[in-house]
Amino acid sequence: MTHQCGAAAALLEPVPMPDPFDLTAGWIEQHLLIPLLYQLGWMRWEDLSYGWALFAVYGAVQVAVTYAVCLPLERWRPLEHWPDRHAVGVDVLYTIISRVGVLPLVTFVAFYQAQVALNGWMTDQGWVPPTLEGLFPFLLGHPVLTFCLYAAILDCADYWRHRLSHMFRWWYALHSLHHAQRQMTFWSDDRNHILDDLIAFFWFLAIGLLIGIPPMQFPLLVLVLRFIESLSHANTRLSFGWLGDRLVISPRFHRWHHGIRAAGRRSCNYGGVLPWWDMLFGSADFSDSYAPTGDPGAGEAMATGSYLSQQWAGLRRLAGLHGGDARAAMASRRAGVTAISGRAPGRGGKRMV
Amino acid sequence: MRLAARLPLLCLLAALFAPPAAAAGLAFVVNSRSASVSLIDMTTLVELRRVPMLREPHHLVLSPDGKYLLVGDTVGNAMFFLDPSTGAVKQRLAVADPYQFGFSPNGKWLVVNGLARDQVDVYDAGTMKLVRRFPIASMPSHLAFSPDSSKVYVSLQGSNRLAAIDLTQLAVIWDVPVGSTPAGVLWNRGHVLVADMGADYVAEVDPADGKVINRIHTGSGAHQLFASPDGKQVYVNNRAGGTITMLDAASLATLRTYRVPGGPDDLAFAPDGTIWITCRFIEKIAVLNPTTGELHTVEVGRQPHGIFLNATAP
Repeated sequence: MTHQCGAAAALLEPVPMPDPFDLTAGWIEQHLLIPLLYQLGWMRWEDLSYGWALFAVYGAVQVAVTYAVCLPLERWRPLEHWPDRHAVGVDVLYTIISRVGVLPLVTFVAFYQAQVALNGWMTDQGWVPPTLEGLFPFLLGHPVLTFCLYAAILDCADYWRHRLSHMFRWWYALHSLHHAQRQMTFWSDDRNHILDDLIAFFWFLAIGLLIGIPPMQFPLLVLVLRFIESLSHANTRLSFGWLGDRLVISPRFHRWHHGIRAAGRRSCNYGGVLPWWDMLFGSADFSDSYAPTGDPGAGEAMATGSYLSQQWAGLRRLAGLHGGDARAAMASRRAGVTAISGRAPGRGGKRMV
Repeated sequence: MRLAARLPLLCLLAALFAPPAAAAGLAFVVNSRSASVSLIDMTTLVELRRVPMLREPHHLVLSPDGKYLLVGDTVGNAMFFLDPSTGAVKQRLAVADPYQFGFSPNGKWLVVNGLARDQVDVYDAGTMKLVRRFPIASMPSHLAFSPDSSKVYVSLQGSNRLAAIDLTQLAVIWDVPVGSTPAGVLWNRGHVLVADMGADYVAEVDPADGKVINRIHTGSGAHQLFASPDGKQVYVNNRAGGTITMLDAASLATLRTYRVPGGPDDLAFAPDGTIWITCRFIEKIAVLNPTTGELHTVEVGRQPHGIFLNATAP
């Protein structure tokens, strides 16, 4: 199938600035990875290793920027004080593994290979693989606008993935690891059971293949999106005001999702970056108070255990091995829950679901 | 306001609204990770603009009639047809995984290596219809034709082999090991040269059976091969070593080695004798004077890969 293209002027884009992420990854590739691959006889993987280097650089910068902004915020306007921050330390490990370590490489390789296989097969059948730019050709010369549309679609898809993970008992058994944290900080964003991460990966794989998500061409935008997600978990008394909270998800908005009363299947505020999906689908709660976080039904191992014991506890909960005690504990703690500050929950928002 | 005070403003306005200086020659540089093609004025060495591609383009080649510059977008599964004088996109064709590709010397075939999909596709160059697909393991990367267009030689980066495809019978006639991670392929004076990226040499191969008859040491990570316009030299870029080796095409003796920063990849020869090189990891191309060894760099997009020079572009 051919596409006749319009005038050249409509398809030409100005010259952007150099990309510091790409240059840093290039330096790592040239000076560290290629010499290593050459010595090991693995040069066939040199292009792939660059992909990992780029992800690792993005991840390291994300962690650094998030740390530089969120830590002062948490110290300036903290919501809670904890004498023992051991549980926070485990969340730091989750973040490092998720953003800088091997997971980005696996994700990148798997998505890339799946995209190559599916799109190549479709091309062979004479079909054009689906892309937003294919659907709306005017987007081809406007990469930033294109990316924003992709980001909004993915955010909406993430809203539904997240909401479904609370609706199904087996799925929430895994996702409860994310909610078990009673010392929620900006490090908690990546605290997930590995099977929950795997489901999320396949979810985004399907969506990404369906809409033809572009490769990592806009690192700054990706960085901003991931920063918002981390910030929304911060242990800080922060909202963006009446209008701001309805444009971008704030720590106050997302804290209600992590509140003890919202644990499990009766939750709210599922969105990751944009609150619009919660507003659109009736799950938004804009209460101006700050709830204590945690999931009493998750068990102590999930809340304060080591990385491995948390993962194991997630599997045990999935298998239904400690449901009775946990449900009893949840009921008793819900009965005694009170907001940390502000108005009572549920009054400022549309409704709890 | 006095005239003297207005002069800077007038100069600024004049600069803003003056027509751009006419380009004497255009360099096309494929930015793989930016999904674009940079257009560079070959006289002023200024990047003029970028032409957006779809996802991840790598190589480019001029059509036999010189009307189109074909740019292959691997992840986008698309072949873009650009006007080689202006960079305007004239046509886009759905092609599966076009990594490296080339037209046979007689202009009859377009052979496309699908590196990610382990396939070599042979298209009728006149109609762009797929004639035959060769599933072949693994990672077919670069190719070269015999001068009579009867054979195409394809390096298999993932399996350390070189394959020969007979284009008259449309059949693979041999597929043999030639070294570690073979990449660039070049026909040179009756033999096939293969750059072994996992080693530090170029293998000289007998085109009849694929037997390696000689190994020429160039530099670590020998990656791509190019014949000079007069055919007297062969240039080899060495990915891990960060060098380009100039070989005598007849004797294959090393004539000179140039140090080039940033992972030298593809290169092209300008009529003034300079060599234009994409530097994969530093978002630049380097313009090398092979006589003096002097280098001049120009900023381009992310991961520059293929390069083409049209010295006669207006």
